[in-house]
Amino acid sequence: MRYGMVIDLKRCSGCKTCSVVCKVANNLPNNIIWNRVLTEGGNAPDTAGGTWENPTMQHWPVACQHCENPACTKVCPVGATWKDAETGIVRQDYDKCIGCRMCLAACPYTGVRSFNWEEPAYYADFALGDADAAKHEKHTVEKCIFCTQRVAKGEQPACVADCIGRARHFGDLDDPNSEVSKLLATREWTQLHPEFGTKPSVYYLV
Amino acid sequence: MTDTTAAVAAKAPAPAPKKGGKGLMIGIGVCAVVMVVGIALWMVQLSGGMVQTGMRNLDSWGFYITLFMFFVGLSAGGLIISSIPNAFGMKGFGDISRVAIWSSICCTCVAIGFVVVDLGGPLRLWELFVYSNLNSPLMWDIIVLSTYLILSIVYLWAYSREDAGKMSHVAIRVISIIALVVAVAVHTVTAWIFSLSAAHEFWHTALMGPWFVASALDCGTALVLIVVIALQKAGRIAFDRAHMVNLAKMLAVFTCVDLYFFACDLLTSGFPGGSGSDVVAMLTTGALAPFFWTQIVCMGLACVILFVPRLRTKGGVVLASALVIAGVFCKRCEILVGGFQIPNIQFADVANSFTITQWESGMSLLGYQGMVYWPTPIEFGVAAGVVALGGLLLLLGIKYLPLHLTGKEK
Repeated sequence: MRYGMVIDLKRCSGCKTCSVVCKVANNLPNNIIWNRVLTEGGNAPDTAGGTWENPTMQHWPVACQHCENPACTKVCPVGATWKDAETGIVRQDYDKCIGCRMCLAACPYTGVRSFNWEEPAYYADFALGDADAAKHEKHTVEKCIFCTQRVAKGEQPACVADCIGRARHFGDLDDPNSEVSKLLATREWTQLHPEFGTKPSVYYLV
Repeated sequence: MTDTTAAVAAKAPAPAPKKGGKGLMIGIGVCAVVMVVGIALWMVQLSGGMVQTGMRNLDSWGFYITLFMFFVGLSAGGLIISSIPNAFGMKGFGDISRVAIWSSICCTCVAIGFVVVDLGGPLRLWELFVYSNLNSPLMWDIIVLSTYLILSIVYLWAYSREDAGKMSHVAIRVISIIALVVAVAVHTVTAWIFSLSAAHEFWHTALMGPWFVASALDCGTALVLIVVIALQKAGRIAFDRAHMVNLAKMLAVFTCVDLYFFACDLLTSGFPGGSGSDVVAMLTTGALAPFFWTQIVCMGLACVILFVPRLRTKGGVVLASALVIAGVFCKRCEILVGGFQIPNIQFADVANSFTITQWESGMSLLGYQGMVYWPTPIEFGVAAGVVALGGLLLLLGIKYLPLHLTGKEK
């Protein structure tokens, strides 16, 4: 089994609901964002691309690509980030992470990994989201884990369940009858930086 | 090395170490104080969080790892240069092996210190030995680095046994050959921490390993020259001019090799005109140009001083050595910051105080203008503390260890 995500760029309106529900579901500390929505035009949010006469606006939701051949798990000296052989999900063990940040340097997808640079702080006075979400720790690395806690119970990751444009799909890439496999068989798709040979499990329908 | 062996045998038993001058004591005191301050700042960094450093998600390593590379280089180079005459049974550079080994040990300790202060969870260091992931280049480096440290200590110990007449010179020669191999390995593996990740255009080159070894050789030789000339000046070691000239010529050649590798790498990156040309532009005209040109000027100037016989005076050689060390330091900065300078994915919409350096100063919308990383005062303080640890060890060694630093006249 290899869980993967298929994101329909034509249906993504750049509302960033996925960023927000991800932050809530996993009770992410302040300044930590696992799921970012980037725009092609520039560094500021919602910057138009293209030319003056013919502007374009394309949003790219980017989180961990859960690569089949991850660069990060190879370099972690203690195995605090590892690939779950059963699900294909690249996971994190906060209790094990020594904070060397080798995985941040090795991951070719700039910015999907975050380090807790200080004691996790929260905007709310109480914990949000899933009761079984892993507790965040100071000076450890974290990233999108495909909402492992939900997937284990047969649920969808938060970003998929709550996407208002229904642009996100989640399922088993190894099963030819799964929704994701069917989408990939019928639609044109692309992936982020295939040239690095990491074989990402996240696909973008174009 | 046979000449020195004879000299050592003639001198035995070695005279008791002189207690050292007032200068040495002051040096030890200053290093100890700076080290204690550094440790205190490290505690501040750990308790208040690494948010106090300049490092962030998009430039996740900084000054500490730069200095880690730099000191591994100094250490490996110093050991290689002092082991070559031993290993190949050549006429040595005078009786400097012990000092060179000791300075290598000190540099190794400093390098390990920099890895430790860079870690978010130093209390979890034990996991490295329990959950070792042997696929990780970082793990290889930890293994090779600790082997190297232990071996250097054995190497020095073997010398003291030889002084006592309890070990043959053949044994030292065998150890020196192993040490030579491990020293080359230690710096190559350090290069692999960077070059084995395809994620950064600037790092992902097969040349990185040999290039690191070349840098190790030039800055290591330069360090040995400075230490030896300083000790000679203090009247604590005999060092012939012929030996100094030999070392100086080797330093010049190593520096040229280092520059040659850099030129090869830049041409290979830049010529096809693809993403590699961004790296070349970043170095020659972009954000890292000050470091790049300082390195080129320092190394070029050093070569001129070292190649022109008239300029090869003691002062000239020390100046050239310092220039080479400064050049290599600049190169380390280029490698580290340069790796993070060019992102693979534009970081639209996510600039916050955890993702980029100096977000508070309004860098967010400027994106990658200027250098992505600059250390904060606390990093300079902690780094000074780690370097002071090395200085303390070096001076204590000079004071108490049998490094053959006494009883020799100029």
